[in-house]
Amino acid sequence: MVVSTNSAPSAPRTSPVVKVSMGFVAVAMVCLVFADISITTLDPWSEMKRMAWGAVTPDFSVVAGIGMVIVRTIAFALLGVALGALGGFMLSQVFHLGPVRWACASVRAIHELFWALIFLQMLGLSPLTGVLAIAIPYAGICAKVYAELLEEADLPALRILPRGTGMVSALFFARLPEVWVHLKTYTSYRFECGLRSATVLGFVGLPTLGFHLETAFAEGNYSAAAGLLIIFYVLIATLRFWMRPKLVGFYVLAAPFLLGGGAAIDMGNIVRFLTVDIVPAPLRRGSFLDGQTWSDLGDWTWTLLMDQALPGMVTTLLLTQIALVATGIGALFLFPLISKKFFGPVARSVGHVFLVVMRSTPEFILAYIFLQLWGPSMLPAIVALSLHNGAIIGHLVGRFSDEVRLRPDSPRGLNLYGFEIVPRVYGQFLAFLFYRWEVIMRETAILGILGIATLGFFIDSALADIRLDRAMFLIAVTAAFNMGIDILSRRIRRRLRLRSQAGRA
Amino acid sequence: MPSIRTLSLCSAVSLLLSGALGSPAFAEPFVFTAIPDEDQSRLRQRFDKLAVYLSKELGVETKYIPVKSYAAAITAFRNNQVQLAWFGGLSGVRARFLVPGSQAIAQGYEDQAFVTYFIAHASTGLKSSDGFPKDMAGKTFTFGSKGSTSGRLIPEFHIRRIFKTAPAMVFTKVGFSGNHSKTIALVQSGAYQVGAVNFKVWQNQLKAGKIDTAKVSIIWKTPPYPDYQWTIRGDVSKRWKAGFIQRVRDVLLGMKDPDLLASFPRKSFVPASNIDYQPIWDMAKQIKLID
Amino acid sequence: MLRGISLTVSAGERVALVGESGAGKSTLLSVLQNRYDGNTALIPQDPGLVRNLSVFHNVYMGSLHRHSAAYNLLNLVWPRPAEVERIRPILERLGLADKLFERAGQLSGGQQQRTAICRALLQGGDAVLGDEPVSATDNHQSRIILDALTETFETVILAMHDVDLALEYSTRIIGIKDGGIALDAAAGGLKRADLDFLYRD
Repeated sequence: MVVSTNSAPSAPRTSPVVKVSMGFVAVAMVCLVFADISITTLDPWSEMKRMAWGAVTPDFSVVAGIGMVIVRTIAFALLGVALGALGGFMLSQVFHLGPVRWACASVRAIHELFWALIFLQMLGLSPLTGVLAIAIPYAGICAKVYAELLEEADLPALRILPRGTGMVSALFFARLPEVWVHLKTYTSYRFECGLRSATVLGFVGLPTLGFHLETAFAEGNYSAAAGLLIIFYVLIATLRFWMRPKLVGFYVLAAPFLLGGGAAIDMGNIVRFLTVDIVPAPLRRGSFLDGQTWSDLGDWTWTLLMDQALPGMVTTLLLTQIALVATGIGALFLFPLISKKFFGPVARSVGHVFLVVMRSTPEFILAYIFLQLWGPSMLPAIVALSLHNGAIIGHLVGRFSDEVRLRPDSPRGLNLYGFEIVPRVYGQFLAFLFYRWEVIMRETAILGILGIATLGFFIDSALADIRLDRAMFLIAVTAAFNMGIDILSRRIRRRLRLRSQAGRA
Repeated sequence: MPSIRTLSLCSAVSLLLSGALGSPAFAEPFVFTAIPDEDQSRLRQRFDKLAVYLSKELGVETKYIPVKSYAAAITAFRNNQVQLAWFGGLSGVRARFLVPGSQAIAQGYEDQAFVTYFIAHASTGLKSSDGFPKDMAGKTFTFGSKGSTSGRLIPEFHIRRIFKTAPAMVFTKVGFSGNHSKTIALVQSGAYQVGAVNFKVWQNQLKAGKIDTAKVSIIWKTPPYPDYQWTIRGDVSKRWKAGFIQRVRDVLLGMKDPDLLASFPRKSFVPASNIDYQPIWDMAKQIKLID
Repeated sequence: MLRGISLTVSAGERVALVGESGAGKSTLLSVLQNRYDGNTALIPQDPGLVRNLSVFHNVYMGSLHRHSAAYNLLNLVWPRPAEVERIRPILERLGLADKLFERAGQLSGGQQQRTAICRALLQGGDAVLGDEPVSATDNHQSRIILDALTETFETVILAMHDVDLALEYSTRIIGIKDGGIALDAAAGGLKRADLDFLYRD
């Protein structure tokens, strides 16, 4: 649905959509005052020149056995998404139950990199670590989306089923075939996300493309980095050619054997993690009956909240709000690039390439690159988040704008943009943006691993000190924080009556 | 309905997965890792070469697996996914605390008296001095990795000793570069004004011509402390053969290949024991890096 | 839409609901379906087909309650010959034999309606409730369908717009007008003209 923001002269009242937008911009302005934004490298240009040179001289030979690395990346994505989709599908059948909904919300509130860090503690560098790190949050996301798809579908066939038809038969005959196409489309979108996730997991040590990408960037070997990135883009761009529905079964069968070797899994480590490592230190050391233990636990919790969780939350929120508005501005700038209303086929294809590259590159990698260029501050994170998410929303809004019907004598250029197109797509645009809010926050938290003092920074520090109890506590705080934003976003969307199908992306 | 068929196939296959993934490795090799304190490819070169040497000398298939962080090295050691590790002082004491029965068996000759260099960008005007250069307060500062001895523990210990407060209170900005190569690069580029770096990496990079001394220079050298060492799990004797720990120690101490030694870079390896690292433990405890 | 209606249908009756479109026939049918808890087959006006499944599968859905979930799923993926042979004659009778494995979504409106009728025929039971089941078929086909329905089901309740067919095939006619029952009589004593008032303003 489209909410018009046309403030016609006869309607002096500002529409709630504009009010909310202005409110968010104002909040972001205030956040900017407190944000740490600077370019700290003395000579960012020389590094940028080296990167640009690397980009035009890609080197594909640096990583020995790159073919196997690609196959492994795909295998991780495939298995993670297959298990996630399967689990998500089963959960979607019981999604109406409160506890299930909550469980799904909390597993998807934790970023796959955090899941990987958790499983690294339990399973070590086993392939299962990577597969589960993708499968678990994806199951939570798929459960929600599948449940929504099934619920929204008009299912006339359900009415005619004979009395006494079992639930399973009804599901497979009357429900599934109707929504199958939607499920398939969404799941294949998830697979693309899975490829990104699998790549990023390499940054914490799993043997995917990201592992080598991190090495190449860390060593300033930009030609190798460019080569790896190009391979990654080609992989995504050719997805529909090699990811045929008929081959999925075969791929999934083969994938477990292509994950590469890893250490064997030791039950002892899992048990130790769950029963010792993550128990808060005062409880682990003291006796349950001792009053001192409980007062120590109080101190432990208080200190952790005040010294780490709270500052981490403040930074995360600052960065999220700035990045959200920057994403919105970015999307409004970017969508005309691919819209038939503004540009011809040649210019549009350039726009498409730019948007595809930006939205295919995970925020984490973009932030990593900008961090190399400009040094540590919030700036690299803001630019990375707004480019990536702006490209995603710009793409969706651009496609949506193509469907707008114009009168034959409509204005052109900037007037067309301002008077005809933007007012018509604005509601849709805001819906996309608010759907993305939660995602931006999840990514913001994770960027802490790169050194920006968001929640992820404190989680990473706790893990570096092998203080798993603190890490788990902070991860739980991060998840709760993220769920809060999710709820808020849903409220605002409902209040403004914003709805969008594709916004689930 | 081919699509429905695909769906059911997927589900059947996924159920088989747990089996395939859970199966243990076949013949278990002797695996070691090292803290990623330097450029990945440099480490890879060094340790792959060492793996060949160890396999030959020990008569056991030996493998190096690279990790992305100090914590990952400790975790892999703790979870028995590696049995031997080249740790720094701090990661070593952490690992041995977590794995009872594990022992430090050898260290580099230089590791008996290791040093951290405080380095600064030329634009700061900071000059080399014998005493701790207090005028670095108010600048921006980068450590190496969060879990590093020479890049984190030692510099933070001295900063807290002198200023009696946390680094975040002393400097306008505190960062963690990730590794020593990166620390040098960041201070040289001016992204950070001051940094703390492992003296061996500094010397190595200086020799390799990667450091522009007109831009970055040493302003202070810390007092010596024990650092890197080889640590082995106590239960390897059960898995391989009795006396395996002694075998590994002998092979490490017997390393004579000048190229291999130069890649560390160490003159030679000498015996080490857990007690040698008590000072590191105490310092870490004092600045609360260890509970 | 309907007010103060009280209606009793006995087993063995063949009831035709007649009246202008929008008079409340469909509403009355769904009320009947909800009230009656015996074994009824339903032919809604929107044929209630799963467009992505074949005609075979859509008809097979009428027998889902007779088999285990596993057997149903097996048939979904791989139609069993026994089931195909059970369904084929029903389709043949209604002229759909050549469409057995065609996707329901690709059929014409009339063919979809007949598919829905085949499903009801396979389902069987005590009664069938049909909402204009012969609205999109010619007279010849309509007779085939009505014959099949009256043979299969003991009790037949159909909303119909073709008054002649209604008189011919029913034992009882219920006329709906302005949300109420305006006529309820045995079909035998009625003539076409007796029903005209239902269609007048």
